[in-house]
Amino acid sequence: MTTATLFILLFFSMLIGMPIALSLGLASISTILLFSDDSLASIALKLFASVSEHYTLLAIPFFILSSAFLSTGGVAKRLIDFAVAGVGHIRGGMAMASVMACMLFAAVSGSSPATVAAIGSIVIAGMVRSGYPESFAAGVITNAGTLGILIPPSIVMLVYAAATEVSAARMFMAGFIPGLLMGLILMVAIYIAARIKNLPAQPWGGFGELARTGFIASGGLMLIVIVLGSIYGGIASPTEAAAVSAIYAFLVAVYGYRDIGPLKGVPWKRPGDSWAASLLRNLVQFFWVIGKSIRDPEVRKVLMDASKVSIMLLFIIANAMLFAHVLTTERIPHHIAETIVQWGLQPWAFLVVVNLLLLAAGNFMEPSAIILIMAPILFPIATRLGIDPIHLGIIMVVNMEIGMLTPPVGLNLFVTAGITGHTIGWVIKAAAPWLALLLVFLMLITYIPQISLFLPELIDHLKGYN
Amino acid sequence: MLRRFINRAEENIIAFLLVAMTLLVFLDVVMRFGWGSGFLWSQELTLYLAAWFVLFGISYGLKVGAHIGVDAFVSQLPPVPRRIVSMLAVLLALLYCGLFLFGSWVYLQKIYSIGISVEDMRLPGWLAGLFSEPVAEVLKLDLEDPLIPLWFAQSILLLGLVLFSIRLLDLLRRIITGQSTGFHHVDEAEESMQLVEELKGQHPGPQS
Repeated sequence: MTTATLFILLFFSMLIGMPIALSLGLASISTILLFSDDSLASIALKLFASVSEHYTLLAIPFFILSSAFLSTGGVAKRLIDFAVAGVGHIRGGMAMASVMACMLFAAVSGSSPATVAAIGSIVIAGMVRSGYPESFAAGVITNAGTLGILIPPSIVMLVYAAATEVSAARMFMAGFIPGLLMGLILMVAIYIAARIKNLPAQPWGGFGELARTGFIASGGLMLIVIVLGSIYGGIASPTEAAAVSAIYAFLVAVYGYRDIGPLKGVPWKRPGDSWAASLLRNLVQFFWVIGKSIRDPEVRKVLMDASKVSIMLLFIIANAMLFAHVLTTERIPHHIAETIVQWGLQPWAFLVVVNLLLLAAGNFMEPSAIILIMAPILFPIATRLGIDPIHLGIIMVVNMEIGMLTPPVGLNLFVTAGITGHTIGWVIKAAAPWLALLLVFLMLITYIPQISLFLPELIDHLKGYN
Repeated sequence: MLRRFINRAEENIIAFLLVAMTLLVFLDVVMRFGWGSGFLWSQELTLYLAAWFVLFGISYGLKVGAHIGVDAFVSQLPPVPRRIVSMLAVLLALLYCGLFLFGSWVYLQKIYSIGISVEDMRLPGWLAGLFSEPVAEVLKLDLEDPLIPLWFAQSILLLGLVLFSIRLLDLLRRIITGQSTGFHHVDEAEESMQLVEELKGQHPGPQS
């Protein structure tokens, strides 16, 4: 009865177009009022506590801010140049370089559609110019863009960590090898396709070119080292790493690359200036730019964009915590788990059900919202069946990736359609063969838990925990 | 003029809270590595700033259409039923606010009457010195040990929900008068396309 009320209210509110945050909150508070003795005051306190007592949640606004600064076009372009210099000379190398650029960009940004937009708008046209079929280029990018949520840092993983209280740092460790593996699978598939279709290779530019582009791209690449290095090394918590990365991203975008802000278009070294004069000028500009950025319209726009997304996500999470509270006090997942165990459902069969459920949900809802609703239900059941919570998290993230490629709410499809100017139908067809690869990858991830768990367990071992 | 000033102030407050949070955590990291110590109050302050950021920001989010939702069903409806369904959605959202407003009012009143304060955040001495004995009594501020009163730190719960309700009432008015069709959910795909537009203007793409 309680369960029915909770879910009927939730789905009804969402169906009539209420924001997901309010739907979760209203369903939870109504259920509590109808079926338990908690007072309204204690529920209000719970809502406040869920936004003010979770230090780890703060990694979300910080990573969003950092990725907002780095999602300007300049960083994407530099990463692409670096990737092309690295693997462009292989047959099908342009496409492989695009996948690599997506992986690198994914590691500085936590969003999948943003990855497709930033990388895709440059490389799809580039690939067509070098003689690739447009559908091939579009299909590769639409899929590779989904790596944005699998390769850490990832907003979706932070949301999962918030919903289940597993360690965000361990989720970030677990996503690393699957992310590389998926990139590798895509690249191997591209190489095979390139051999069959006889796709072109770029001329090898030499190690000098690789070093030069690598140096130019290092502003973005260093962020990956700072963030992942400090989290994997246990030096900083994800929240601290995220705050450092936000400050760093601001400096790179505004002072280093000068893509936005008061120094936009001002060169590091003016022609005719001596080295000493340039150095002095740049040193002064460093302090000048920080003061000047406060009133800069472009910096302000980045801040407001990041605020909008952060507020929206954190408010959903706050309400989802009330929802999770109702689930736990009513022992709803516990009952489902009991039933499943009585049926004798095996863990592998449970994972099939999980995958089907998530794939279906992915067609209608945002990844973060799905995770916040589903994770508190699935997590206790999985634990009961002996499935590792971190493993379950990676499975959920990979499912969300696929959800980005399936209509009607597959965000990546819309972005690619927007870039190429073709219909959604055309993009779906172009992405389909690569989507099949992603489904195979999902099976690998689901049934070989070691892919996800190897790195976190290795790091635990190195630190001497077991 | 006044409207523009309020809009500007609202955005400034939100941006300030976000930047302040980021800088505080950054400073904490720097202090730990540089001096091996930190401020006792900084974590508590960061968390309260986060709460203010979110709860103050939700009404702004409603204004700019930042909240996500499912509109697959509502957008299929013909105009008149769509308006009715949207009105129902806004009324339910107001019910949400009403329940939480009542709850937070009762809660804050209780906190106020007991006179609890936060754990680590103190007013600086010169600032505490500005309060006279009776004023401090009303604010529940202990002048001997000027910890910030809890009712004040948590008052954003009430304030944020009041602002949110005002924006909801405004939305309801606009739906009734036909200026709006309902909650406008953000479209992440559309947002990403802005990036594409920017890039198309800037770069010709890699040369082949």
